[in-house]
Amino acid sequence: MAITRRGFVKAGGVALFSVGLDPLFMDRAAYALTNRLSTNRLTTSLPILVCLFQRGAVDGLNMIVPHGDRIYYEERPRIGVPATDVVDLDGYFGLHPSLAALKPWWDNKSLAAIHAIGSPDATRSHFDAQDYMESGTPGVKITSDGWLNRYCQHDREHQSSAFRSVAFGPELPRILSGTAPALAIGDLKTFGLRVPQNAQGDRVTRAFEALYQGSSTGLLASSSEEGFEAARQLKAADPTQYQAEHGAVYPNGKLGHSLLEIAQLIKADIGLQIAFADATGWDTHVNQGASEGQLSARLKELGDGLAAFATDLGDRMHNIVVLTMSEFGRTIHENGNSGTDHGHATAMFALGGPVNGGKVLGKWPGLAPEQRYEGRDVAVTTDFRDLFAEMLARHLGSADTASVFPGYSVDPAKFVGAIKG
Amino acid sequence: MHRASLYTALLLVPAALGAQMAGAPATLTPRDSALHALNRLAYGPRPGDVSRVAQTGVMKWIDQQLNPKHVDDDSLKEIEKGYQILHESSYDLVGLLEDARKAREARLKRDPTSADQPGDQPPKLKRLAGEFPALAVVRAAYSERQLQEVMVDFWTNHFNVFAGKGLDRALLPDYIEHVIRPHALERFTDLLVATAQSPAMLFYLDNWQSVAPGSIPPNLVRAEMRARSYGMGNSMRLDSAVARQPKGINENYGRELLELHTLGVDGGYTQADVIAAARILTGWSIDKPRQDPRFVFNGWAHDYGEKTVLGVRFPGGHGEDEGIRLLEMLAMHPATMHHISWELCQRFVADDPPDGCVDDAVSAWKKSNGDIPTVLSAIFHGPDFWAASNLSGKVKTPLEFVASALRATGADPDTTFRLAQVVARLGEPLYQHVAPDGYHETQDEWVNSGALLDRMNVAVGLAAGKLPGAVVALDRVVPPMANHDSLVNAIDRQLLGGAMTLHTRQVILDQIKDVADSGAARNFAVGLALGGPDFQRQ
Repeated sequence: MAITRRGFVKAGGVALFSVGLDPLFMDRAAYALTNRLSTNRLTTSLPILVCLFQRGAVDGLNMIVPHGDRIYYEERPRIGVPATDVVDLDGYFGLHPSLAALKPWWDNKSLAAIHAIGSPDATRSHFDAQDYMESGTPGVKITSDGWLNRYCQHDREHQSSAFRSVAFGPELPRILSGTAPALAIGDLKTFGLRVPQNAQGDRVTRAFEALYQGSSTGLLASSSEEGFEAARQLKAADPTQYQAEHGAVYPNGKLGHSLLEIAQLIKADIGLQIAFADATGWDTHVNQGASEGQLSARLKELGDGLAAFATDLGDRMHNIVVLTMSEFGRTIHENGNSGTDHGHATAMFALGGPVNGGKVLGKWPGLAPEQRYEGRDVAVTTDFRDLFAEMLARHLGSADTASVFPGYSVDPAKFVGAIKG
Repeated sequence: MHRASLYTALLLVPAALGAQMAGAPATLTPRDSALHALNRLAYGPRPGDVSRVAQTGVMKWIDQQLNPKHVDDDSLKEIEKGYQILHESSYDLVGLLEDARKAREARLKRDPTSADQPGDQPPKLKRLAGEFPALAVVRAAYSERQLQEVMVDFWTNHFNVFAGKGLDRALLPDYIEHVIRPHALERFTDLLVATAQSPAMLFYLDNWQSVAPGSIPPNLVRAEMRARSYGMGNSMRLDSAVARQPKGINENYGRELLELHTLGVDGGYTQADVIAAARILTGWSIDKPRQDPRFVFNGWAHDYGEKTVLGVRFPGGHGEDEGIRLLEMLAMHPATMHHISWELCQRFVADDPPDGCVDDAVSAWKKSNGDIPTVLSAIFHGPDFWAASNLSGKVKTPLEFVASALRATGADPDTTFRLAQVVARLGEPLYQHVAPDGYHETQDEWVNSGALLDRMNVAVGLAAGKLPGAVVALDRVVPPMANHDSLVNAIDRQLLGGAMTLHTRQVILDQIKDVADSGAARNFAVGLALGGPDFQRQ
């Protein structure tokens, strides 16, 4: 089968190139040639990056609360989290009480918060801001691929698994789109072709492979190729009947399920290096609540989910970093509906063995009117690209972050120090 | 037809042909152009559709589709009779939702630690909630007014409302039935105003709670005066009622109105415009949201000050009328015409819409005051729509894939309302898109490894007669045949409208050559045809 595929790619590739085929397909085809996918189990020493996107713009100020700041309470009479409820971290900042499950990791210095981080672009559009955060090129809309995919394009030595980069969800997000192979998995249990008898299943798979391989349909051809390969590897690894370890209990809901499946894939040792999942429900324009309420419920799911993940993976966390991100923050002042409108800077978490934890990192700009962005929002003091580049350079060991963030000069002097030196 | 009218018709033929030639598919055969129109204006051909449309004349068929009121749709009406949801008003649904909420609260009062229970959701509400997305798939597959259904899907995403947000579970059916559907092929301005005044949108994007700072509803003012004059002691309760009142504007709707519904993100508006738009729309709210939700303009909540949007002055002292003025201005703004024309060209022509197509649509918009059928007609008469490079150039969305597969195989819906679950499994749970931008139209949104494998699963299941929610009788469309060449010919003609590539044909023949049983060979071949690359494109 492998020989046939290679033959097709070689022979077909040249012929198709001359009729002007979708360049994405050509890149992927060439890629497949130089990086044959294998089913070998990999060692467990490779670093892993897990990214969680809080879509909808999380309110950084109620996630990592500046409870030592009078202005915070003046601006938020109805939704300010009372200092008595906050899980204090350093006397000025504290965790929202629903994130209490994360405190042990703060205490053992494997959890860090990065405050006042965001985009240099002024947009308050969810969609533009998410797009910029995923493309890694704020202000530039025509970038065709995502920064995690560009990383995969440039650091190819790790590429030996169909599961190298996986997004959990039915759609492949922008951040992982591009010429390097990436998988979108809705549910590990049902991934692949489902045909009753095994013998017949192989036959159906072979038939579809033949159909898609020979068709000059660009993205359709490359995506199906990756799908078949991944289904084969997953079958060989057999991650069914998964049991979380060390008494970890994942919260119900999509985020908990995604984290559980990421842990499952990591433990299957099939070469996962980059995992991505969405967490939705952060656009709290109305009744966001203070210690309890809407935002609190979402934070509880996040905190409990991360805690379950770290508990479950135990010692394996020594080379894993989980990074949360969100497109922007929210207004300092609560709005007319006990909620918050679209703002500027927000906060992110980094969790894992390599993290320089127990600290709120980044430069805190303050909340006073003259310290704000456009007079209303938390100012950005850390460009999100500096944190992302630090993850790639210091955690994944990437030598070429410049090409991952085109148009930006990555300068280690600007790294916040999220990864231990 | 009478002889005289036939004669007249014959006389008119050259003129009609002449009109067709404006952007007509001169280089395409009648069957090719019929297939292309059925792929884009409809959810793909049913067996025999390509010949029928080719015979009618593709431009005539397109004109019929642009006037759906004259297209008979009785067979769909018969199917719709099985859908109880169509007989429930928002009043009924909100009642069910409220009953569920009260039951849950009562349980929590009895036992504060008890977890949410499946019984919290009344079975009737659950069933009705499942019916509605299934109805969308059924209409896409079985309506004769195909373009109408395509446009309903287009506007449903353009003016997206997430059905999972609180009250919107009860408000969404009314929104689709009475806001989106009646306006899908009418004037854009009317559609825009209808969405702006729909309880579903007002709730989804929070405008119902957007008020001028310092506003207090009249009932609370009266209660307060009473309390004061009697020196009442129950002012605690009153205070908390006042505290729960919205205190100021909410920008959410104002922003999405400019960014998504009208001008587009690059439409040249500023943060100040967003705030001014939100101020103009203060007081646009929902009357009796938990009993009988309807649009209401609350004068007491309106900001009567002067505002400026996009350089246009809205003088002080105006009420609901300035909101209408704003919406009408936005509907005919050049940025809006361009933004929505661009989206329409993306839907009907190519993922990367050609400039010429967008320009044609914009000028039709200007001339017709935003009459959607006129704008669409300009697109369908333009050279880009028929350009060879755009044929089969788009990948189907999950809804398009499932609806077209049902049509191709002549499947009937069963009574389980499960078809929407199939579409959801492929990545497009209907009415469940959380963010206000709706589902996207382009292939990069839908083509990924996992989703493709799932499409193959659906195709194999359908061919085996095991698609949830549908009854498939393949024998009526492609009976088993001993001769594999004839079998594949029949599949190409009946299921793929004659668009099967040579490669697909060869692979299928090769794969089934050693399958002895003619029924098994037929099922295998149909599964491959529907799950293969040709059928993913349109």
